[in-house]
Amino acid sequence: MRHALFLAWCYLRFHRVKTVILIAAVTLVLYVPIGLRVLVSQSARALTARADATPLVIGTRGSPLELVLDTLYFGANEPAPMRFAEVTRVASSGLAEAIPIYTRFRAGSHPIVGTSLDYFGFRRIEVAAGRQLATLGECVLGANVAATTGLGPGDYVVSSPESVFDLAGAYPLRMAVVGVLARSASPDDDVIFADLKTAWVMAGMGHGHQDLTAPQAANLILERTERTVTANATVVEYNEITAENAASFHFHGDLAAYPVSAAIVVPPDQKASALLRGRYEADDETVLVVRPSTVMSSLLDTVLTVEQYVLAGAALVGVATLGIATLVFGLSLRLRRRERETLVRIGGSRARVATVMAAEIVGVLAVSALATAVLTMLTSAYGATMVRAWIRS
Amino acid sequence: MTARAREAGCRSRGVGTRFVCAGTAGAVAAGLLTSFGVMAIGLALAAIVSAAGSAAGEAERPGDQPASPLVVYTVSYPLQYFAERIGGPAVRAVFPAPPKVDPAFWAPTSASILAYQRADLIVLNGARYARWTERATLPLARLVDTSAGFRERYLVREDTVEHTHGPTGAHTHGDLAFTTWLDPALAREQARAIRDALTTPRPQHDAAFDAGLASLEHDLDALDREFRRITQSAPSRLLLASHPVYQYLARAYGLRLESVHFEPDEEPSEEAWKELRALVERHAAQWMLWEDTPLEATRARLAELGIESLVFDPCARVPAEGDYLTVMQRNAASLARAYE
Repeated sequence: MRHALFLAWCYLRFHRVKTVILIAAVTLVLYVPIGLRVLVSQSARALTARADATPLVIGTRGSPLELVLDTLYFGANEPAPMRFAEVTRVASSGLAEAIPIYTRFRAGSHPIVGTSLDYFGFRRIEVAAGRQLATLGECVLGANVAATTGLGPGDYVVSSPESVFDLAGAYPLRMAVVGVLARSASPDDDVIFADLKTAWVMAGMGHGHQDLTAPQAANLILERTERTVTANATVVEYNEITAENAASFHFHGDLAAYPVSAAIVVPPDQKASALLRGRYEADDETVLVVRPSTVMSSLLDTVLTVEQYVLAGAALVGVATLGIATLVFGLSLRLRRRERETLVRIGGSRARVATVMAAEIVGVLAVSALATAVLTMLTSAYGATMVRAWIRS
Repeated sequence: MTARAREAGCRSRGVGTRFVCAGTAGAVAAGLLTSFGVMAIGLALAAIVSAAGSAAGEAERPGDQPASPLVVYTVSYPLQYFAERIGGPAVRAVFPAPPKVDPAFWAPTSASILAYQRADLIVLNGARYARWTERATLPLARLVDTSAGFRERYLVREDTVEHTHGPTGAHTHGDLAFTTWLDPALAREQARAIRDALTTPRPQHDAAFDAGLASLEHDLDALDREFRRITQSAPSRLLLASHPVYQYLARAYGLRLESVHFEPDEEPSEEAWKELRALVERHAAQWMLWEDTPLEATRARLAELGIESLVFDPCARVPAEGDYLTVMQRNAASLARAYE
């Protein structure tokens, strides 16, 4: 048997191009349906888990799917902003807690999520290194952000300008990294968290600047009366919030009118949830309340439908591939008739020759099965990371 | 199409798939059927995998055990006093500002803010009191703005300077009077807000909280009657305040009060004296209310102008002696001297 395997190995090695093509074809035929099933089942479980863990989401009327994807997975398509008053409206109803989410800004490729401290308790995310957010201008990093950037407590992150040509727009804010969150195997690992008010500072709604009533600012003053001071545009506005200038930071106007992307709503029970949803049923209501589990189920319905088509296509391709492989093996055996006769003439029995040929086929199939197993494991382990970047791009 | 699909904003198109969702779902589904269909679906589904979420729920916080007292952090002493009176042994009210610091302008350290974050409730005064809370990261769900119920009755300070620069328009940095608790009627409303906030996490103590509130309201009503009795004896009496902190007291009792900016532990500048003399020419008050005992030199110089000094402690800080109620009773007795 050992000799038969040796001869089979020598043959496959000599015809390495044909062997590799065969292995690749058989591997793909096996991997596509198996890998797809693994992904689908894992995806469905994971998607349902995060959606089920998020009772309700409110946001400005529009696509429920975009609203949920942005709120749960921090996608690139930020929904139309909602007034912060809607967050306080939910909280003041006494029916639920509301956790604001503001995803307008990024730092490089990483989303910056402006939220309240309640988010970390809600998602059960602990700080693994450093400390929790305490003041304006601080941020904490998701585990993957810290790992890929090499940043940690004591470092700084600068928010990306939205447009270099928008001179009157939001300016970058240099934020101090005060903590790194524990890994949660969720999209929370891939984002930078800051206080909602810090995100509003990035948006230019809050700022800190020189004290215009101080004598040192005299050269900036265009007009000064008993009740008003008008300064020119050269007033230095701070792009970093420090202990020294923190007291000068302030917000303009009514905070109720400030924007958030959405809010996670956490009612204590089903009754409160139903009552709250009922309050947003009016036709003239500008705010949408959705159950992420329902929205994600509908998305899964779509994906599963598509999957059926893909599997059917894969089955057809598989049959064709196996047919071609059979043909290749058959033709190969015919072409190798003189080789088999030579083996018999030099003393090999017909059974031994058949064993050599069978070993070649089994070898190709075994390597293909092994490659399929490896690919499936890789899909299970790293597919998520690859597509996490894809979904946010 | 399933009902759930309809709810998610899907609509039938009949192009290859049974239906294609509008917006993102459409993009996802269509992408799955392109020439890279297999890989696309892999990517799309892996995206779902990437969304592996953790189970949600409320994190445990100090005081979550029903038997342990509810930990309540406040931003001023009056609020701590109210919480203690209402909550009794079911509440541990904490006001961590150092005793010598004015809580309105306190800048707590990160450690102090983290201590606030761990509290079961954080009781705010509102009216932009303790501006540090606007710059701190605090859990929204545990914040209690005790003056939210009377926002329309906030008083705007008249001594702030509005400024304009760049495209943001005119704005001010500190435009509201904030010593709301000096009006006993408003203090009562703040106390009720605290009672309501305590009841939510500790409904089993509802009756005890009601009893605590009733007792506190009784004392505040008595204080209100006393202030009213004193001030109504001479409603036209002119008064001065060393600092603009008595706006709500003045409104509640119709005090004819004008303010300067004298510090009790500093001698006023000559410019400040000049402003005072100008003020007295049109507002001939004979008494000045101080937050604390002024320097003897200041008191003497005021006496030369015919102005007597009396201490009316707003009691924002923990008093050296007594409590909020006894301080307010001392304030009433002190104020009575101006109305004799």
